[in-house]
Amino acid sequence: MMLSLVVYSAQAQDKNRDSIQAKTNWLNGITLQADLASLVSSAIDNGESYSLEGGALINIKNKYYPIVEIGFAGADKTTAENINFKTNGLFGRMGVDFSLKKSKPNAKVSNNLVSAGVRLGMSNFAYNINNIVITDDYWKNSESKDFNNMTSTNLWYELVFGVRVEVIKNIYMGWSIRNKHLITKNAAGEVFPWYIPGYGKNATSNWGINYSLGYKF
Amino acid sequence: MVLLPLFGGWGLFFCMKHTIFIFLLALLSFTLFISCTGDEECRKEKYVKLGVGFYKKTFSETTKKYTSSSISIDSLTIQGIDTAGLLIDSLVYNNSKKISKLYLPLNKFVAISRFRVTFNETIDTVSILHSNSDLYLSLECGCLKVHTIDTVLTTNHFIDSISINNHNVININAEHLQIYN
Repeated sequence: MMLSLVVYSAQAQDKNRDSIQAKTNWLNGITLQADLASLVSSAIDNGESYSLEGGALINIKNKYYPIVEIGFAGADKTTAENINFKTNGLFGRMGVDFSLKKSKPNAKVSNNLVSAGVRLGMSNFAYNINNIVITDDYWKNSESKDFNNMTSTNLWYELVFGVRVEVIKNIYMGWSIRNKHLITKNAAGEVFPWYIPGYGKNATSNWGINYSLGYKF
Repeated sequence: MVLLPLFGGWGLFFCMKHTIFIFLLALLSFTLFISCTGDEECRKEKYVKLGVGFYKKTFSETTKKYTSSSISIDSLTIQGIDTAGLLIDSLVYNNSKKISKLYLPLNKFVAISRFRVTFNETIDTVSILHSNSDLYLSLECGCLKVHTIDTVLTTNHFIDSISINNHNVININAEHLQIYN
């Protein structure tokens, strides 16, 4: 009882001393951001895959950062055997980042952030796979197969580690590394997509990097 | 949670020098990340084969039952017969010695595969009626043609009977047919 009283009075003193401290604010602004890494990788990738994405996040108590990310991505890949895969589609992710910084009662609230978070991603899209050639070497024949207007819905989760820094007032830059895991599975024999917008290459897990530029309102 | 103590002192960390360092690190890892997504090639089998084993039934006087045992053929020659009834130029097996198991390619686009089988000097014609379907493997590998055996017909010069052990021809090493002498 005594102890809690002491803590309480100490907190009250903090508040009086440092009125700019935003820690007690429940909501500390909304940040809109665009991803620059996807622009760079799209340019490097020779059009094999491309992606555009942006997001909005809110700051709750400088601790929790619920975030929504939406984007548009596609791929146009031709293999060594001339099989072509083509897709494009929208994707969305939602999740939350948690600040990893220990809050110190007397520290001035920093707008910089080291965070760990999770995302749940989803994409529903159509794709075409063309020119799958099947040859019969013994009985001598061949045919070419196309799979057009296939559709797929995929869900995945991401583990995110990130850093965000306020470079100029209200302008934020940040990067994050993501480890992505596909939740939906391909059934055996299914003509599954090679690329999933927002997830990347269709594998059980993937890595992703984002480099964001944002403005806080 | 384990990471938490590591970041305890990060208030100091965010002076400009360190910020630049972090961003350079990010750029470096990003470059590495892009450069290590290399090209892929197919590492799966892209064909299936019909597996056939040779057996002989022997009647045992003591147990009053037939038992089958694997036999090997001294000399075996196999040639496909196309739908027009003409022999395919290339031989699947050419005078092969001591064969007890063999693997045959089924026709990928026609629902019948016929073979002329020469056991030593005796010739039999085996017709396999099957359905064909496509199994998608991956973008790198494309499609695999798989078969389901429906009926097997044979002449009976050397062959006594054929039993279907496994109807689904989906790989290269199963035994689908058993030929009895």
